[in-house]
Parts: sequence; structure tokens; C-alpha cells
Amino acid sequence: MISSRRFLLALLAATALLATAARAAIAEKVTRATIAGIDLIAYPTAVKDVVTFAGSLPAGDSFAPDANLAIASLVGGMLDKGTTAQDKFAIAQKLDAVGASLSFSVDSTMVTFSGKCLRKDVPLVVSLLAEQLRSPAFSEEEFTKLKKQIAGRLQRALEQTGYRAGQAFAATIYPPGHPNYEPSTEAFLAALNSATVADLRAFHQKFYGPAQLTLVAVGDIDPAALQADVTKAFANWTGGIKRPDYPRLAAASELVRDQSVFMAEKPNVSVIIGQASGLRYTDPDALPLRVATTILGSGFTGRLMATVRDQEGLTYGIGARTGNDTYTDGDWRIIANFAPDLLEKGLASTRRELTAWYEKGVTAEEVARTKTNLAGSFQVDLATTEGLAGAILGAVHRGYPLTWIDNYTNQLNAVTLDQVNAVIKKHLKPADMVLIKAGTVPSLAPAAK
Amino acid sequence: MKLRLLLGLASLSLPALHAADTSPAPAQSPAAAPAPATVEGYAFVKSLGGISEYTLTGNGLQVLVRPDHSAPVVTFMVTYRVGSRNEGLGVTGATHLLEHLMFKGTENFNRTKGNSVDQLLERVGAEYNATTWLDRTNYFANLGKEHLEAYVAIEADRMRNLWLRDSDRRPEMTVVRNEFEIGENNPIQALDKEISAAAYIAHPYHHPTIGWRTDIENVPIEKLKEFYDTFYWPDNATVSVIGDIEPAAALALVKKYYGAIPKAPHPIPQVYTVEPAQSGPRRVTVKRAGQLGVVGIAFKTPAARHADMPALQLLGAILTSGKNSRLYRALTDKNLTTSVSTDVGFFHDPSLTTIYASLAPAAKHDEVEKIALTELERLKKDGVTDAEVAAAASQFIAGSAYARDGAFAIAGTLNEYISSGDWTLYVTLEDAIRKVTAADVKRVAETYLVEDQSTTGWFIPVLPPAPEAAK
Repeated sequence: MISSRRFLLALLAATALLATAARAAIAEKVTRATIAGIDLIAYPTAVKDVVTFAGSLPAGDSFAPDANLAIASLVGGMLDKGTTAQDKFAIAQKLDAVGASLSFSVDSTMVTFSGKCLRKDVPLVVSLLAEQLRSPAFSEEEFTKLKKQIAGRLQRALEQTGYRAGQAFAATIYPPGHPNYEPSTEAFLAALNSATVADLRAFHQKFYGPAQLTLVAVGDIDPAALQADVTKAFANWTGGIKRPDYPRLAAASELVRDQSVFMAEKPNVSVIIGQASGLRYTDPDALPLRVATTILGSGFTGRLMATVRDQEGLTYGIGARTGNDTYTDGDWRIIANFAPDLLEKGLASTRRELTAWYEKGVTAEEVARTKTNLAGSFQVDLATTEGLAGAILGAVHRGYPLTWIDNYTNQLNAVTLDQVNAVIKKHLKPADMVLIKAGTVPSLAPAAK
Repeated sequence: MKLRLLLGLASLSLPALHAADTSPAPAQSPAAAPAPATVEGYAFVKSLGGISEYTLTGNGLQVLVRPDHSAPVVTFMVTYRVGSRNEGLGVTGATHLLEHLMFKGTENFNRTKGNSVDQLLERVGAEYNATTWLDRTNYFANLGKEHLEAYVAIEADRMRNLWLRDSDRRPEMTVVRNEFEIGENNPIQALDKEISAAAYIAHPYHHPTIGWRTDIENVPIEKLKEFYDTFYWPDNATVSVIGDIEPAAALALVKKYYGAIPKAPHPIPQVYTVEPAQSGPRRVTVKRAGQLGVVGIAFKTPAARHADMPALQLLGAILTSGKNSRLYRALTDKNLTTSVSTDVGFFHDPSLTTIYASLAPAAKHDEVEKIALTELERLKKDGVTDAEVAAAASQFIAGSAYARDGAFAIAGTLNEYISSGDWTLYVTLEDAIRKVTAADVKRVAETYLVEDQSTTGWFIPVLPPAPEAAK
């Protein structure tokens, strides 16, 4: 029921990632060590009582065997369903009793985990994290339940125009075999139904271990005590893999460039216009492209919001971003919402702004303003334990030393107007971009009876 | 969105106690209460939990200050005590539309001059927003402390000097209508609106904060101006300054920019409508294209400041928070629902506690509703265990600590307590939660989870019509 003016918080968070500002260097305050084979990074802050964990290991969907694309997600889904020592209720009871949380998720490349607890409960949370990663029970009963839960969640997601548009986009611009390729819901469900507990055990045995496990803890922590807790909890665990360097895959060439996903009775149509960027976050051209993209589509002063929303009133939210480029070449996209009867008008305005941005480039004033925007957002993003933990883990995922966080503003300031305008033309082709519309697209709506 | 926000709130902290003491005598919390800052033009009211309350005596502006030096940022927030609760027939959604128009500029600060609120805040990388809800509207920014004064200047200026032009309303109306449409895409939001509309007959919690579509489209600019001139005054607002700033400096800054604004030339209108007693169960059904069903069961529960609210909060957690909760075990763990949640209304006036059960693919509405009601009856008959109460309380107390992780989080939580009518609940609620017993939880379940005070809604997905041939 709450209504808010802001649409693009998540989008902004993605684009306004990290800069640097007047703060003590993070890299200098971090205690980083290999403990029980784990890359353990501890960053004490002034917050009282709160400790936030974030971590990962490479066992995401791209490691699933060819025979079953659902296995990695299913293993991740079983991590909080009980261990060989205790069932899921007992674990939940221990966490609930102290108000702590631990959760797991699986993306294209990594199993990620996050947790939150009070200072006094760090040993408990570390021990439960280790137990769940190391020895999931893989009970048949829980596996049957999980499969039904996932099937239900997928079916519910099919109601969401944004989900449908995103799925169609990823299935179009990435070729099969690319880590960012999105299989159809039907294909995933088929794999889900054919998976067995034996498959899960085999995957866990092969991919779970400390070989490239990162654990970040931020907040009211004692690094030495944390190291002792991790040593105890993860002792004698071996295995796992190092994340391979993915080859760059050619973008899909035979694309259907204008696609509609029809969904009845949806008063809002979700739109994506974009393409594979061919860039990784760490590529030299990636930062100038992020600056360019911020100018086009971030915040209320970005060109898209300033015109398509503020001047023309055609949408509640529209923005542009780069993404999915941490481990492999990613994509560039505009995301927008339009009422069905304003869809064509909205698309025309969006394309007008995209074309002007592409053809004429951006101005020196826009670049300067965007640099201060990104730099200022650094302080804000790093003002919580969660923001800090996410930033540190993100740097690790990208293969940067932690000093990269502290040096970000310098890198940002080195970006020039010429670079920004050059990368737009070098990496993007608006004429070839894919357009996805999900919702009650007027041209496809059934005739009224 | 109500559901989502309340879930977030529930994980942070919640409700409260005794009827609000809205004009308490000056008091300080025991022990570590800091000495109040002395700034001419202010009256010190009280300090509690590190937060100090002052009144700007010239115009009645309430000011809350909480230093937090963990990061070099400050969150500045102004909360107006006006929400959709203050709207009547034909002007639903006006509070929210006005919130959007608050970004259109003033004579002093506007886009043409290059110093609008958006331009300033995005240039400095601030996190900022404005939100409207049942009882309040708030505007806030989390930004580097060196940029605070520039933001305060704009925020204070638009309290009374806003441009309210129909040329701005017309395009913004379609923006808001698209926001409405995005909400309509969501089955749970659609169901939630209908449950509230059925549960409240007279009280303005009846209508959604975003308003009814035709009101959004047609409310004239004169009505919005009238709304602005009625409610946007310092004596109907609370300013919160949280972060890396000393209290005296914060107070001086607020006085510098708000001090010249006069108090309202009229009494701020108060909502006097009381919802008539409900005398039997109510039901609504929403049939739309969709994939899976939803069951929502809402019960009338008291205002945020009521003494039963702490026990109700723990009751909500015991019902649906975590794998050991009653309804997770009875429904989700049996693959009858994909999720269950409880939204314990925490508002200025009596509201609803709503249990939502999102059905799994093969589940039936009546079956899920029956099991949920059976669990409620079992709880009312047998009560809850001490362990359940302790776990729910621990989650709440830890959540309160998590909600103090950064100035922005503190402001977000504090805002809901301000709008409930008593910001001190931000501090006192935790103590109240600690005192809740299993008997309290059983008693509030018996008192409020009553069929005659319920409104039950089903979202029933229907087979969508086939599209025309795909392109």
C-alpha cells in the first residue's frame, strides 16, 4: 500500500556501484587470511552488536552437468533442509532463538550465502554455516518437498511481467552454453523432475569445498576470534574447485529482435531493449560504458527519466544499466514500464533518447556530474555492514585486490569524455538491439467479445 | 506493497504500548541520556535511546536528533503527519500525487536553475526518496555530511513554496497511473486492496494509498493545492537528523532553514471517523488471469500504540516466521503453499492483521483456509510454548539491532513510529516485547483472531484468454 516516487533503487544500486570518498582505507583495516583453506576477510566497524556475513563458492548453475541443468540449484536449495547431524527444524530453532539468519542462493556461477547475527552469536552462525555447506542431509523426503516448492515458485513467477521479460531477454541474447543463458521454465521443470538425490550428492562431492570459498564478515567482530571459529568449524574440509575463466562466447547471431510475451489482464507492460555487451566488469572499456549508461538511464536526472517520465509522463519507471558481467561478458539494457495504450508512444520516446545518446554522445558536464554522483554514492553504499560486505565480496568476485575499492574514485576520475563517447559506439548497436515486451501487448490482445 | 513493507518492518522491530502520550512532560531516559543541546529557539522535550526530541518554539516543528558516527553520512528526513488516511471521496491518492509534485520545484530551487532537489542529490550520490502511506508522507536523503546543508535548504523551502501547476500535474498523473498499473499486475496487491475495502466501511483505511484509478486521473490541481495548504506546515511535521553530526549543529541547521516558516494559520484537521463495529465475517473474491491462488485472512486489531500490540507482534511471528512457525509447518512444509506470512498492522488507528497463504500448484483454497483456521483455533485453545515466545522475542530484539545498522536504516524504522503517533516506541517497544508471556499471546489470539471480526479474500486465477497470433 505504501507508494513511493522512486522506481529505480535497485537499478541505481547496480550502476552506482563503488567509488571512493573521505573514509579510512578499507584495505588497511581488513584482516585477510587463509583459514582452513578459506579466504576469510574480516572488517570490524563501529556498529554495535551487528555482524553481517557474505560469502560464496563456485558451484552455480553453469557447473550443472549437461544431463541435468537443475542440479546446482537443487543442491543449493537443499543446504537449509537439514544436515546429517540435525534436521532443518532444529537448525532453524537455533537460529531463531538468537534472532540470527542464514540463507543460501545459487546464481549462474556461484553459491552465495549471507547471514546476520549479534556479536555474541558469531560462533553459532559460523558453525551452522559450515555444517550446512559441508554435510547436507539430502533426505529423499526433503528433496521431494523442495522440487514441489521450486515448481510452485516458478509457476508464480510466470505471473510477473518483469520476470517474463527478463527471461526472454536472457534466452535471446545469450547462446546456449553461456553462463547467462536462461533456459525455458519448461526445460528447467523437466530437469527438476528427473533429478535424483544421487545426482545431488555427486555434485556436492565434486564442487563443494574450500578451494575457492570466500567468507566476509563485517561489523562488531573480533577478527582473531572469528578466525578461531572458522578454523574449528571448517577443519579438515577439503575439495571444491577453482572457478574457471570462462571463454568469451560469440553473441547469438540469429536473433528474433522484436518479441512479445503475451500475458492477459496485465495493466502494465514490462519492456527491455538491449543487447549482449561483450564486456566484463574488469575490461578497460567497462567503466566508461557504465558512466555513459548512468548518464542515459540512472536516477531522475538521467536522460530517460528526465524526458520519458518527467516531461512526457509515459512511465513510472525507466532506466538503463550494464550487468551480468562479473564472471563473463554481460549485457546492456534499458528497462521500462508502459501502460498498454501508451506502449507505442513510450517505445518511440525511448528510442528517440537512445538514438540521440548514441549518435550525439554525452557532454563534458554530464560526465563530470556522473563522476561526482558515483563517487558520492560510495559513502552511502558503504554506510552499513551489508553494503560493506557486499562491496568486499564483489571485489573478490571480480578478481580485484581490496585496494581496488579504495582506489575506485581515482579510476573514475581518469575516465575522459572521449572515452565515454567512444565506448558507446564501439560496443553498442541500437539498430540491432532486441526488444522484449511482456504483458497485455495491445497488438496481441484477443478481440473483445 | 503493504505486505512487503510490513514484512520488512516486522523483521526490524515493531509495535508498541500504552496509548500514546503525545505531549509528555520533559523527561530523560535513565543512565546514559546525553545532556540536551542548548540552542536558542528550541524547547527540549525528552531523550530516549540516544534520540533527543526538541520543539522549534516559533512554529511547533518537532525535531529528533540521533548522532551516529559509524560512517561520515547523515540521513535527514521530514515526516508529515498526512497520509491516505486524511483523504476523502474523490481525492483518494491525492497525498501520494502531491508527494510526486513536491519534486517539481520552487522559485528558488528548480531544474531550470540547475539546483533542483534531484539535481543536487544525484550530483552528490545521495540515496533519497519520498514515500506515502496510510498515516504519513516522508521525504529523506542519506548523503555525505558535507552536503547536508544544501539539502536542508531545499527541503525547508518546499514545505511552503512549492510550485503546484497543472502543467506539472498532467504528466505526473500518468506517471502515477502507471505506478498504479504496476501494482495491479500483482495478484496479492490486488487482493489486499479488496480485503481492506471490505474490512473498512467508514474509516479511510478503506481505500489504497495510491488511490482509485479515476481519482488519480481526475483530481484537480486546486484540490492538491488545498491539501498542501492544509497539511504542509511545521507544526504538522517531524524532522529527523541521524548520523555523523552533533546535536547542536543539527538543531542550528534546522533552525536556520525552518525557523522562518510560520506555524499553520489554522488547526491541522484531525481524522475523527471511527470504523463501526464489525458484526460478522466478510468475504471477497478476486478472479483474474493468473497462475496460482492466494488466501488472505484479515482480523481487526488495535492501533500501534495499544498495549496488546507487542503480544500481537509475537503472535504474528509464531504463526508464520521461519520454518518452525505454525503455518509454515502446517502448510508450506506440506507443499500446500509456496509461502505464508503475517502482516500485523502497525498504524495510527486500529487496522488489520492479515495472514497470507500463497497456494502451491495443486492446493485448493478451501483446504488451505480450513487448515489455517484450524491452526488458529488450536493456538487459541492450547496456547503457545515459552520457547516459541522466546524465539519470536529474540528475532524481534535482534531485528532491532539490525535496524540500527546505519543512519538510513534507523530513519526508516523511526519513521513508522513517528507516524504511529509516538516515536518513543522505537525504544520502548523492545522492553515491552521482553515482557510478553505465552499467556499474553494466547489472550490476544483469543481476543482478536475472531471469525466475526474477519475478512477473508481469495485470489482465484482464471484461465487467460489466448493471445492473437504471436508476432
